[in-house]
Amino acid sequence: MRLSILAFALQALARRKARALALGGGLAFAVALVAAVIFLTESLRAEAERAHAAQPDIVVQKLVGGRPTTISAAEAAKLTDIPSVRAVTPRVWGYVFLPSLQGNVTIMGTPRGAPPLSLANGVLAEGRDVVPGAHEMIAGAELAHFLGMRPGDELGLPTGNPDAHALKLVGTFRSSLDLYTADLVICDDDDARALLALPAGDATDLSLSLANPAEARVVARTIGERIPGARVIERDLLARVYHLAYGRRAGFVLGAAIPALLALLVLAWDRASGVGPDERKEIAVLKAVGWSTSDVLWAKLFESLLVGASATALGLLLGYAWIFWLGAPGLRPALVGWSVLYPRAALTPAVDVAQLLGISLAVLGPFALLSVVPAWRAATTDPLETMRS
Amino acid sequence: MTTQRRTTLAAVVLVVSPVLVIGGLGLDAHARRAAKERDAASIDALARRLPSSDLALSGGARWLRTVSLEEPGAAFADGPALPDPDPAGAAMAPPVEAWSR
Repeated sequence: MRLSILAFALQALARRKARALALGGGLAFAVALVAAVIFLTESLRAEAERAHAAQPDIVVQKLVGGRPTTISAAEAAKLTDIPSVRAVTPRVWGYVFLPSLQGNVTIMGTPRGAPPLSLANGVLAEGRDVVPGAHEMIAGAELAHFLGMRPGDELGLPTGNPDAHALKLVGTFRSSLDLYTADLVICDDDDARALLALPAGDATDLSLSLANPAEARVVARTIGERIPGARVIERDLLARVYHLAYGRRAGFVLGAAIPALLALLVLAWDRASGVGPDERKEIAVLKAVGWSTSDVLWAKLFESLLVGASATALGLLLGYAWIFWLGAPGLRPALVGWSVLYPRAALTPAVDVAQLLGISLAVLGPFALLSVVPAWRAATTDPLETMRS
Repeated sequence: MTTQRRTTLAAVVLVVSPVLVIGGLGLDAHARRAAKERDAASIDALARRLPSSDLALSGGARWLRTVSLEEPGAAFADGPALPDPDPAGAAMAPPVEAWSR
């Protein structure tokens, strides 16, 4: 019996096709927008967290006037004897502005003993790792492409230090790693120091690896005591930054979309909760031919379910296709920024089934329930009176 | 198949369509994640040579290239829903002329 009512509900919707399509279309658009923002945000956060595990357990910076500044590499000696500290490495990195690019590139020095990058471990698309002292560099595929460089070409990066050498490109990163390397130049520590005009003996920060990462909090406290004014960043706390950074961006985009979403939902509510004269007449006829109030309510509930469910399904599909199949045109700049060098790597879905079900239920539940009360009112009025009016 | 049966079947399919779509998208997402897993070793090797695991989404001039290390106060003084003092993204990009000046 319920299936017959379901079929009747579909036929009733087909009789009011324009209204059902307008209602379903608006709802599908709202679902697609919300789902797309969530898909993109979760995907970006997951990408950042993917590289998180390989980061140093603790990074120590020096603050002057509340801003990070360079730190003396000699400070490392104060930290090596802290229990659980396995190694302290001064790192040299920073930014160089490229006028031809109208943007910054990130320069990262390679300390001695750093793990190698190669074609074999899948990091490089072509070429090899830099040889210390040979004035070589590896660049992101996007940056090399923008500068029109091929392995073997040399580039003199603009710097205030006349002693800085031009660097020879000896390798490029795989384009699938663009999200991390689009603006990256890796060279040896001495070249990075020269390019960044970093005084000898200074480092950008100190990275610490611990024998037991669970002791990071205790080690961080000790570092604070030994280097007063240092800013100690624990790896585990950085996960929170990613949640905040990407969540906040998603919040801005969703916040900007609130008026449009509200307008659509008010329209949907108005359409779903109002029972027009034709529908009242239809309900009266159904009651007159023997349908019970319960049957009428089921029919109205099924109508809402059919519109809501198909709109939700369509919205989820559109949102997913927008982000992962089409590459998020329009939405990507709003959420990831306007960098000159855009990482082109495809995004990987990180959203799980529970979140998809959550979006669906958040739309379907209220939408279906909204339609019951007006249908109840119409179904409990006298059919003769309704037909006469 | 009678018209009534076809209508009933279509209605049932429409009602369960979110479940079908979620299942399909779940499968596609699973396949994409599995493909990405093949990059895990290279990401791990690369990450050891990066300043941070932040994504290359915006230039360092805006203090947001390595947001986790550079944003003043990150990762400690930040809070949920706090406005970004210098957002890298929003609904509208600045005009190209202003950006390239």
